[in-house]
Amino acid sequence: MNLWDADKLQARQDIVLAGETIPALFWNGVAARSARVLMREKKLGLWRAWTWAQAGQAVREIGDGLLSLGFEAGDCASILANTVVEWVLADIAVLSCGGVSNGIYPTDAPAQVEYLMVDSRSRVVFVEDDEQLDKVLSVRERLPLLERIVVFDTEGLRDFSDPLVMSLAALRELGRSHASTHPGELDARVAGCRPGDLAILIYTSGTTGKPKGAMHSHAGIVYTVRGYNKIIHQDENDERMCFLPLCHVAERVGGEYFAVYTGSILNFVENPETVPENVREIAPTVCTAVPRIWEKFYSGVVIAIRESGRVQQAAYAWSIGVGGRVADRVLAGQPVGAALKWQFALARRLALDNVRKLIGIHRARFLVTGAAPISPDLVRWYLALGVPMVEVWGMTESCGASTYTPATRIKPGMIGPACPYNEVKLDPATGELLIRGRNVFMGYLNQPQKTAETIDADGWLHTGDVGMQDGDGYFRITDRMKDIIITAGGKNITPSELENELKFSPYITDAVVVGDRRAYLTAIVMIDLENVEKFAQDHDIPFSNYASLARAPEVQALVAGEVDRVNAKFARVEQIKKFWLLETQLSAEDEELTPTMKLKRKLVEAKYADRIDAMYAA
Amino acid sequence: MSILKLLNVESAYGPIRAIRGVSLAVEKGRIGTVLGANGAGKSTILKTISGIIDPRKGSVEFAGSDITAMDPADIVRRGLSHVPEGREVFPLLSVRDNLLMGAYTRTDRDAAARDMEMVYGYFPILRERAHQEAGLLSGGQQQMLSISRALMAAPQMILLDEPSLGLSPRLTREIFEIVVRINRERGTTLLVVEQNANMALNVADYGYVLENGRIVMEDTCERLREKDDIKEFYLGMKEAGARGERRWKRKKTWR
Repeated sequence: MNLWDADKLQARQDIVLAGETIPALFWNGVAARSARVLMREKKLGLWRAWTWAQAGQAVREIGDGLLSLGFEAGDCASILANTVVEWVLADIAVLSCGGVSNGIYPTDAPAQVEYLMVDSRSRVVFVEDDEQLDKVLSVRERLPLLERIVVFDTEGLRDFSDPLVMSLAALRELGRSHASTHPGELDARVAGCRPGDLAILIYTSGTTGKPKGAMHSHAGIVYTVRGYNKIIHQDENDERMCFLPLCHVAERVGGEYFAVYTGSILNFVENPETVPENVREIAPTVCTAVPRIWEKFYSGVVIAIRESGRVQQAAYAWSIGVGGRVADRVLAGQPVGAALKWQFALARRLALDNVRKLIGIHRARFLVTGAAPISPDLVRWYLALGVPMVEVWGMTESCGASTYTPATRIKPGMIGPACPYNEVKLDPATGELLIRGRNVFMGYLNQPQKTAETIDADGWLHTGDVGMQDGDGYFRITDRMKDIIITAGGKNITPSELENELKFSPYITDAVVVGDRRAYLTAIVMIDLENVEKFAQDHDIPFSNYASLARAPEVQALVAGEVDRVNAKFARVEQIKKFWLLETQLSAEDEELTPTMKLKRKLVEAKYADRIDAMYAA
Repeated sequence: MSILKLLNVESAYGPIRAIRGVSLAVEKGRIGTVLGANGAGKSTILKTISGIIDPRKGSVEFAGSDITAMDPADIVRRGLSHVPEGREVFPLLSVRDNLLMGAYTRTDRDAAARDMEMVYGYFPILRERAHQEAGLLSGGQQQMLSISRALMAAPQMILLDEPSLGLSPRLTREIFEIVVRINRERGTTLLVVEQNANMALNVADYGYVLENGRIVMEDTCERLREKDDIKEFYLGMKEAGARGERRWKRKKTWR
């Protein structure tokens, strides 16, 4: 398929699987698709498939096990694990018991784990391994409601015993014996689960204050995944990659529940570091990821091409140029002429198909990006490869996507019109985007005050994003309301536009632009270690560790060049005058980063206040 | 003042890059160390310095002159000796002949004879075994011989590769004690590559940590010993987890 016939990506209007709750969907899926594959995971180097029937069996045993522990409808269980098959099994088992399922980021520190467990009133927690187990055990005294810790992987725990702790295998064993004495109990729980019941909690990352638990009902989620299929259709023949944290709305709803509904196959990556290798192995047909991943793939290609010979470089340059011209015409709504089509076919053979293979998107019908703003240039690059890239915008509280750019009419830089299943409008007074629909959440757990501040009397969800709308109904986000910078000169600046442009550089992973009530703009920049290291080696720049790399004058000059390139696109008052490179390599465990590896603006501004001040000192 | 300076050195075995842009320096009269796991590229660094491997990129500077890719014998003549991993003594030659081989590049025969006495002073056992075939020595004795052979070239600096390899903890300690004595008494600069991080950090002044062919951390050994990553990954010290033991390793942060 080519970009100019993206209209072949037909949407499905009908309901593909009956069921008004998540467990109902899942069990109907088990009945209808029993021998088909639901999930795949890589174990000891081999891909192992889980059919719907096998997954159903495991979910049933875990569910029965929970029942034997006295887990009641409405009780909460938390899951503290990376994105693994057991996460999905435990999640659906909890929901099948009529329980509430809550995900905790595996990178969270014990204190955060404690806060989420207390706030969600978790009676049971599923943990991935001994590392996660230690976190819970270290705060167990402060978790009076906790009755059981279930460990997925018990390696290293052979000699450990504690009345609170059991393995997933032991829980399944309990479940099997419970089922023989209480047949039909789990089915009754599934049947008793009502669409309006609270199903899952998704805690927002909480860059300011404590995390808030967004409550989603079964009905809201089922409504949303049915809606997804109307805009980005997928089915049982589609291969997806499951790799973002399942505690996040994108992978939970857009990955797990959407796949349960449509029957698409979830392929689990080995671990977050192996995503680039795994994506090539899986070659997903539908690929949803966050901008950070798309940036990473892009910079990988750019670097590989710099390494290649002159002929290859020329072939790539010509081909991506042809792809760009095709994309331009398609974006402008103009027909693509026969000559250009012929050139594009050649470009694909010459270079573009190989680039797609290098990334692993050669089978992808379309790509989906969301969860953070993306640089329009990056979207154009994927379009130039000939793969439609759909941008979605939404938030945890709206159960994921609320607007999307249809593959037939993509406008890079814009987030598209409202998804057909919800309303989106601009607040006439503030320009804030508002969402209304059945996908909007039930409120924040234990925080009616915060809920009232977020959903107004007419049911509009206040998103905190400020934007504008064009004549076609497409929205454009200018910024988070609270992030807008007003310089000392009174100029309103939207830092994310600058930051996205900076992130487009293969040498910059993330940046925070500062300048509120200041004379000019500055930026704190996190360099891309891999690519900058390579740059340093190629140019004989001595460095020993991360800090010395960041301080190297040549690296400073490299980043200065990237900043200048970005500055050239903006008016003088909107330009970044100075920057400072972070000197420590950050990982998801660090407080400066969200679990999805974005810099936390407020925290970074506070933590590096002296560095920022230094950039404003004479 | 640095007697040895590596600038962005890259060395490879065929298509496999063993060290990827290493820059380090050793101060004159001091002991430097490079820590790292198996296969991190430690030995490759030493081999590149002593000219056994020619680097693909970067430069090696010794005592103010560029010795990059120079002939190993010339490098020895300039005062830089290499004690290879696994001793590599000449097994069929006597201990004494082995030592004389160390003085191969020298022309000052009298001084060489005095140095022979000097190494016998440091390692009296070698005098007792002077006429025995080196291959019949124990591992520890061979290590002593190997270090002594390097000393016989009257070097300003010695590269010491894994001196503790295969030795008992007691013997390791003894050898390191003598290495420190050589450094203090003769002012010989040393660069020690070790897997026994505890020992290396105790005797050296300044250390580098090498992972996958890149330096990830450098500091004085005193400060390195206090770093969490070093404690956990190189010194085997772990604070106990909630269960009293901990099998999983935290992520390295190198800070």
